[in-house]
Amino acid sequence: MIRLDGLSAKKGRFALRDVTFALDAGAFGVVIGPAGSGKTTLLEVIAGLLAPTAGTVHLGGADARAVPPEERGIGLVYQHAFLFPHLSVRENVAYGSTDAGAFDEATERMGVTPLLAREVRGLSGGERQMVALARALARRPRLLLLDEPFSALDPRRRALIRREVRALHRAWGLTTLQVTHDFAEAGMLGDQAILLDAGRVLQSGPPAEVFRRPASPYVAEFLGAENVLAGTARDLGEAAPDWIDGAPSEYAHGHRAFAFESEGLTLYAVGDFAPGAGHAVIRAEEITIARDQTHDSARNRFAGRVVEVATLGALTRVTIEVRGTPLVAALTTRSAKELRIEPGLAVVASFKAMAVHLC
Amino acid sequence: MSRSRALPRLLSVLAALAGSALLLFLAAPIVELVGVGGAEGLRRLGTDAELRDSLLLTALCATTATLIGAACATPLAYMLARRDFPGRAILSALLDLPLLIPHPVAGIALLLLLGRESAVGGAALELGLRIVGTPLGIIAAMLFVSAPLFVSGAREAFAKVDPRYEGVARTLGDSPWRAFRRVTLPLAGRGLLAAAVVMWARAVSEFGAIVILTYNPKVVSVLSYDRFTSYGLREALPVAAALALLALVPLTLLRALRTDGASER
Repeated sequence: MIRLDGLSAKKGRFALRDVTFALDAGAFGVVIGPAGSGKTTLLEVIAGLLAPTAGTVHLGGADARAVPPEERGIGLVYQHAFLFPHLSVRENVAYGSTDAGAFDEATERMGVTPLLAREVRGLSGGERQMVALARALARRPRLLLLDEPFSALDPRRRALIRREVRALHRAWGLTTLQVTHDFAEAGMLGDQAILLDAGRVLQSGPPAEVFRRPASPYVAEFLGAENVLAGTARDLGEAAPDWIDGAPSEYAHGHRAFAFESEGLTLYAVGDFAPGAGHAVIRAEEITIARDQTHDSARNRFAGRVVEVATLGALTRVTIEVRGTPLVAALTTRSAKELRIEPGLAVVASFKAMAVHLC
Repeated sequence: MSRSRALPRLLSVLAALAGSALLLFLAAPIVELVGVGGAEGLRRLGTDAELRDSLLLTALCATTATLIGAACATPLAYMLARRDFPGRAILSALLDLPLLIPHPVAGIALLLLLGRESAVGGAALELGLRIVGTPLGIIAAMLFVSAPLFVSGAREAFAKVDPRYEGVARTLGDSPWRAFRRVTLPLAGRGLLAAAVVMWARAVSEFGAIVILTYNPKVVSVLSYDRFTSYGLREALPVAAALALLALVPLTLLRALRTDGASER
């Protein structure tokens, strides 16, 4: 449905450079990137509001460069809503709507029916975003472009509206591309994540893949991976490492086994990484903590001492110092309480070789 | 009192005094003029047919010039506010030029362009249109000296409207023209109206260019000058006061527009 090939565009001093990715019809794509990475500019180019300086934009299989925005079948929602202040809420939602059924469904689903008689000036930031979503959906677009559309909503409404957008996306077969800096949102919503920084695509793919297998340490850190260690990977090769049974050709369907040396730690990993200097990424959720040595399938097991415990609702992040290297583990707060985790406590951190991603 | 506190206070007092002095300098002559000649000016409106006709002619010509200026300058102002193109700075400077040259010089330049000896003036005469010495000459002079003010105000009004409003309207099915008409124009409307009021006020007060192009029929500024040179201050005062009162109309309108705009925010 959307295919960008070598797309470049300029907006003021900012430039998108050589952006290439594709999003299937009916898929939900999520563009993740820091402020100023070009997320909004990317949406504006796809919407036809900004002309590319190079490359191509294909929408629905056709070159869209000569197609004006009004003929692209697009709904665009900006973070700041941009409701027309001289029109009422009803007039805003009805602005581009040609289908009474879509108008009713959009207003109902986005929860703006009680707001229809109101003036735009009196709306809160969250209400504005809901009206902007309804306005874009009331036109029943083929492609929905969303620029941080839930940022001003309170948590309860955010969950509700997010669910409704996702439901409409499925029911209408709506191809959707959403900009966010919220990784949880990206994981929840997206069939595909596109990571953008300084106008370039750093990585794209299924969110789980991007999160688990970041293409670079920068991507890993950007995506919130707490444990990114620099070091050297050594291919364990056909030496039949003691922790893998069987002939080399049978190892993990062609994946090779590595020992990764980092600041006095040796991690075991499997993958198709080229040996040499690199980084090991372990997500905090992959690390488990025990009060003593246990026998389980994890190949990486390190004794250390808790140096910090940070609780945020049902989630607790525990920092363990292992031979001078901090490792962060994410636990449920209940588990942390049951284990009586506190600073100074001696613990064992463990994780599987498959949880170590080398890049 | 420490020196660090005394200096800012002294500066505040000096700033207040300087501002008050300027305000007094600007307001005092007008207040004096209206105070001395206002009542007589209003009385003369009932008895002095030439003054009445002159006021009507001034208002009509200024309104016509403003309408022509607004119609022609609005697209130009929009382009200057929205588009980045080579030569934009030069075009802007050219548009400001009439504000910088002395108005009698503007009148002479217009006479060269529109006089019966010129190509444009000659062609207009062929079509039966005499410009110099007619209300058309007054309108031309008013347009020349006041249209740049409209362009400047309108450009600012358009620049204040975030282009993303238009972008959203385009994605909602509007062509560029339709998005301009349905979104940009209403959002910039108050600023455009304020620019038109400023242009109208400037046109009403014009003298230098008009007196060269069309001495007769007389607009109020020319009439007050004529009465002053022919009959002295006593006869010129009521006319001048009437012109000052006429100028109060757009000023009041402008203030009202700005107050409404401020209350909306």
